[in-house]
Amino acid sequence: MSDETQDATAQGAAPSEGVAEKEGFAGYELDTAREPVVVGATALFVLVFPYVFARMPVVSGILQGYQGLATLMLIWGIFALGFDLLLGYTGLLSFGHAAFWGGSAYAAGVFSQFAAESLGFEAGPVIIVVVGTLFAVLLAWGLGFLSLRRGGIYFSILTLAFAQMMFYLSSAPLSGITGGENGFTAVTVGHLFGVFELESELPSVLGTLMGTWLYAFVGLMTVVSVAVAYRILNSPYGMVFRAIRENEQRTEFVGLNVWRYKLMSFVISGAFAGVAGSLFTIHGNYVPLQSLYWTESGEIVIMAVLGGAGSLFGPMLGAGIYLYFENIVSGVRDLTVPFTDIVLLQGFGEYWHLLLGVLFVLVVWFFPRGIWGLFQDLRNRVTGGDSAAETGGER
Amino acid sequence: MARDTDLPTRRDVLKTTGAAGAVGIAGLAGCTGGGGDSGNGSGGEGGSGNGSGGGSGSDDYPALGNYPIEGDTAVLGFNVPQSGPYASEGQDELRAYELAVKHLNNGGGWVDSQFDDLSGDGVLGMEIDYVSGDTATDADTARQSAQRMIQRDNVIMITGGSSSATAIAMQELCQQEKVMFMCCLTHSNDTTGKNCVRYSFREMFNAYMTGQALAPVVTEEYGGDNEFYQLYADYSWGQTQQSSMQMFLEEAGWSQVESVPTPLGTSDYSSYLSEAANSGADVIVLNHYGLDGANSLSQAVDMGIDQDMELLVPLYNRPMAEAAGGAISGVFGTAAWDAQLDNEPSQQFTQVFNEEYERTPSGPAQLAYAQTLQYAAAVERAGTFYPPEVIKQLEDYEYDNIGMGQELMRKCDHQAQRDVPVVRGLPADQQEQGTYFEIVNVTSRDDLGYGCDEGPAAECELGSYE
Repeated sequence: MSDETQDATAQGAAPSEGVAEKEGFAGYELDTAREPVVVGATALFVLVFPYVFARMPVVSGILQGYQGLATLMLIWGIFALGFDLLLGYTGLLSFGHAAFWGGSAYAAGVFSQFAAESLGFEAGPVIIVVVGTLFAVLLAWGLGFLSLRRGGIYFSILTLAFAQMMFYLSSAPLSGITGGENGFTAVTVGHLFGVFELESELPSVLGTLMGTWLYAFVGLMTVVSVAVAYRILNSPYGMVFRAIRENEQRTEFVGLNVWRYKLMSFVISGAFAGVAGSLFTIHGNYVPLQSLYWTESGEIVIMAVLGGAGSLFGPMLGAGIYLYFENIVSGVRDLTVPFTDIVLLQGFGEYWHLLLGVLFVLVVWFFPRGIWGLFQDLRNRVTGGDSAAETGGER
Repeated sequence: MARDTDLPTRRDVLKTTGAAGAVGIAGLAGCTGGGGDSGNGSGGEGGSGNGSGGGSGSDDYPALGNYPIEGDTAVLGFNVPQSGPYASEGQDELRAYELAVKHLNNGGGWVDSQFDDLSGDGVLGMEIDYVSGDTATDADTARQSAQRMIQRDNVIMITGGSSSATAIAMQELCQQEKVMFMCCLTHSNDTTGKNCVRYSFREMFNAYMTGQALAPVVTEEYGGDNEFYQLYADYSWGQTQQSSMQMFLEEAGWSQVESVPTPLGTSDYSSYLSEAANSGADVIVLNHYGLDGANSLSQAVDMGIDQDMELLVPLYNRPMAEAAGGAISGVFGTAAWDAQLDNEPSQQFTQVFNEEYERTPSGPAQLAYAQTLQYAAAVERAGTFYPPEVIKQLEDYEYDNIGMGQELMRKCDHQAQRDVPVVRGLPADQQEQGTYFEIVNVTSRDDLGYGCDEGPAAECELGSYE
């Protein structure tokens, strides 16, 4: 797609900004210059996150985190990142992303079983991710082709309908392959690069920081995903996405094939979901039927909006917060006054849905740009407000 | 999925560093302490535990899963449905689990009277603590919750269930992580059949045995030449339940008209039921459990189906009967256990449970209590928490101390060979608080079950000890 893209977007970039052509390109160069900073910061975060979350003295005691959840947060982070490309940047609300998440998870699982039983080798994580992602991309192409015939609410409903079809298919007619309601249990994951066992510890200081090879692999995929997403969003191609979000008709009049850009946005988003879904299979050694259910599509919307749709890191933050509530807060037996044994509320964890709901409503009311948007506003206030580049880069 | 045992696992290494490095000790304090109570202020407790960590692991077994236990508290994980269609069963299980922990630490109940191996002063000198989680009657949630217990709370054993899909998901994880799993209420053939694992044990009987116990009773009651129509919950348990019912009823001379799946958690069964009513069958088998079972049964009665057809609910229990009310009048089924059983252990358990919670325990509660004590007793007999040794103590163990007669925990598939009570619902005017059905007969284990090379057991491969 590269050559065509370059042409189309070179034309499209300037008008979409609505300013002089020169300025559009100046912004583009500046963003590329910030790329190492963004990627570096992500890598640094990924490097220390499990240590702080699950093992660091005092802090991990307060956070109550654990290694497996740190991995899961990154996986959902990748999913949310891809979803935001569609919702936050192109302005399309898909309500059927469970199809790509669960579909790729099943594809990855079934492939690993096929490799182990019929081809006689244990598929490594890399090839499993490739297969799962490929499946999601093809699926997104098909579903996007059909769903993008309509816009707005009709698009949302169509994606939801297709995803529910997938759910139904794997629950009953294909239960011979998928295991139906029991989930898919025959996942067989080989060693990373044929050498490193995923559950084993990383050497020396890396082991203390990141824990397992599995986390390192997921972390690497996260950094790569962020880099790729950043590159796409700050390329002229990504500017067209934003142009479509701002005013679809105008973009069309400029001479761009809006439908094709939307489809590409959908496919790219599906690809990210595919990476995440495959990693989910590798992480859990198991695919639940739930992964295709519509609630999964709902969760990703909530994560994106909670964290801040239309920003690079917002949805990832949202995913982290959601999972934290789902897995940690829900397990808190009694709410106590800190550092004492006085019980304020018994069975506190049972209310995690309610708490999350209240948080969601508050965020939507007071910080429409999400929690990440709040952080940005605070930073801008402290640093004096400027930063056209920052808003250009991350909004 | 077999783990390469030559390489140290993540947790092994953490433990080593925890014992060696000063920073590590402080770090682990945050992980091991805390438990379910929001983590604050428990750091000190965990820290002191780590000091003696080396000492408690003095027996000669290698680190495996969450063994050795650091400190002087062994944590159990109770993962039960606190929401979803099986929530009321889950609540009763949790009550029984808490009672079991209390008795293990302070004596009382079966710990004093039925389990000679247990002292009532902790297990192997360790105090027993627990964390609980909500499976939401959903396999994925159950698995995430179990993973949290294993990784963060360092539980030495997990128990729970009340849905076969969640039990299967949890026991697979436990086999991977080398943490013991004691099934509570899971009735699917697959749990100790094709999905069986070495690290899991089941006291509950299964759908196959329900079919065996129920077929003679209903053929005697309703005659030997009937047509039946089945509705079943569409997941592991429902599927095996309906195929077992079909197998044994057809062997007894009945014939099946049709068998229709319904999604788990359905609230309106009227369309399924009216189709069943118009099928011309003589008997409708409702393979539903928990709230689903109460719903489908009451709706069937509301529609008047019981006027000219007979209803059969293969597996039911107290909370379900309570929810269904008068609808269960005359309905046959099997139950895990019941407080009416007239033997010493059953009556003792009913009494202590009643004293603690002022209510009659259900079958799932007895299972929960029994399986926790069985695990603790096996640990005492093994003299260690090292899982493979505990497993060996449970395998082929014979006992008769939980109120279900003489039992054997079979080594080949980890399925208890035990009696099955067949029950019949009482009409509304004869129901009292806590008595919703009568026990028709307790089918002896000699008339039930199957060999290690037949039925569900034929598909079972348990996997490795280590």
